[in-house]
Amino acid sequence: MRGRCAIVGLGITEQGVGLGLEGRELRARAVDLALADAGLPREAIDGYIRAHVEREDLRYMGLSPNFSVSMMTGGATPVFTVIAAQALIESGQAELVACVYGEAQSASAITGKPDIGSYGYGYPTLYGLLGAAATHAFHARRHMHLYGTTSEHLGAVAVTQRNYAVKRPGTLGFGKSLTLAEHQASPMIADPFRRFDCTRNTDGGIAVLVASAERARSLRKKPVYVLGAGTGHNIANWHSGEVFEHHDNIAPAKARAFAQAGMTLADIDMAQLYDPFTISPLMQLEAFGFIKAGQGGPFYAEGGARPDGAMPTNTGGGQLSAYYTTGFTGIAEAVLQLRGEAGEGQLKKAATSLVSGHGMNAGVQNTWAHACMILGNNP
Amino acid sequence: MDKQAQLEKRNALLAAIRKVGGDPADLPFWEGCEAGVFLLHRCAKCERHYWPASRCVEHGDEAMHWVEASGRGRVYTYTVLHHAYTPATRDKVPFAIAVVQLEEGPFYHSTVLECAVDTVAVDLPVEAVMMPHESGLTLPLFRPGRVRPGRVRPGRVRPGA
Repeated sequence: MRGRCAIVGLGITEQGVGLGLEGRELRARAVDLALADAGLPREAIDGYIRAHVEREDLRYMGLSPNFSVSMMTGGATPVFTVIAAQALIESGQAELVACVYGEAQSASAITGKPDIGSYGYGYPTLYGLLGAAATHAFHARRHMHLYGTTSEHLGAVAVTQRNYAVKRPGTLGFGKSLTLAEHQASPMIADPFRRFDCTRNTDGGIAVLVASAERARSLRKKPVYVLGAGTGHNIANWHSGEVFEHHDNIAPAKARAFAQAGMTLADIDMAQLYDPFTISPLMQLEAFGFIKAGQGGPFYAEGGARPDGAMPTNTGGGQLSAYYTTGFTGIAEAVLQLRGEAGEGQLKKAATSLVSGHGMNAGVQNTWAHACMILGNNP
Repeated sequence: MDKQAQLEKRNALLAAIRKVGGDPADLPFWEGCEAGVFLLHRCAKCERHYWPASRCVEHGDEAMHWVEASGRGRVYTYTVLHHAYTPATRDKVPFAIAVVQLEEGPFYHSTVLECAVDTVAVDLPVEAVMMPHESGLTLPLFRPGRVRPGRVRPGRVRPGA
């Protein structure tokens, strides 16, 4: 599978709170930006994948693809759309697939309605369990119990990512530094998560265009090749009673992605890991094996995820400090870095990136789906 | 209770389950709570216990049945909610939600009674207490209790379950 398809266009709309734009408009603008980025006309899109539910996008956008499908597997959806796009291209169903996201998530906050109050977890809601913070807090608390991870360790994740965002125009954290003391002083949301351990809902759209590697080489932008991809579902760990030790079920996803790519961890230059909360990249770095189990806290505290660290992680600020596009944030950042378009935040060594997605609120948990891929600028 | 009254009671409980977005497949569990017993879904072939209602990972639906369980376990992990996501929880925060690992194995999300939020801890032994809830369901809450180490109560088939 290695390098047979590539991301050839990237569109990132304005990202922020209370933009006053509907999700559909954000998606339309993201597609327009991606087409402009790729130097392709509207009619070139012959496949359309919407994360999460497609209604009337095509008519509104003036697109005429052969198919339009919706995909929903939580925050793993964006990576999954690229995997699906690859499969659709490889099976001859399309030549240019648009993977599109755009939501006005902050709109409900503006109307005064609870922003994620609608997140229900089956019977646990009867006890007052609401929101993704609480369900991820279960993993954080367990990690603290097993390994002695502290709130300051989680704070180190928040500060590390903010330091990336401070230098990145267009992110919510641009120019706004964050200290560990400020993190520690921020109010508790769902223990052990303080406000700065949590992402907030933002409005924004992102579209990526996927084509065959051959086609990619004839287009204007440096192709970002899909070198490998894999999926894993935490239900296996639920069945074995180990779900709270596993933020994601990374083992099968990692095995498949790295086998397809013919690569090892040592070949990865940076990681863009799904980060709804600070515990998330920390536990994923452990689960992928970049560091030993339980070492995530000290790793962040000692600067391991910084630009000059052993594994630069969430190098555009991530969803915690840049903007929350339910998993497209990491894909966009990988594309920018691999093209050499990350500006002041450009890493010196940026030939490959691991990208992950995670989530899916369903029933009694919110940590079900995982999808990862390895992107690179050499096929 | 005559048949008609039983049927009406069952339908009222089903309606309460549906109203809170619950799963009708768990009806026997909630009936058990009303009767003061903590049930789990169990595969008679391999004795794995499940909650909520499930098919066995090995034997599917061949031998699933509801059995009385110990109602005891330990706090496996927990969170304390400080942020009120809805008006309904504004006067309740901070409150703890614990994931209890029952002696039989499954996890059960609940609240811990008789225990200040800052004393809820991983490994705290707890036992279920049935409490009526505004939804019309009877809910198992947990309070600090005793756990017999290593003991897994085999569970017996409940007549009629």
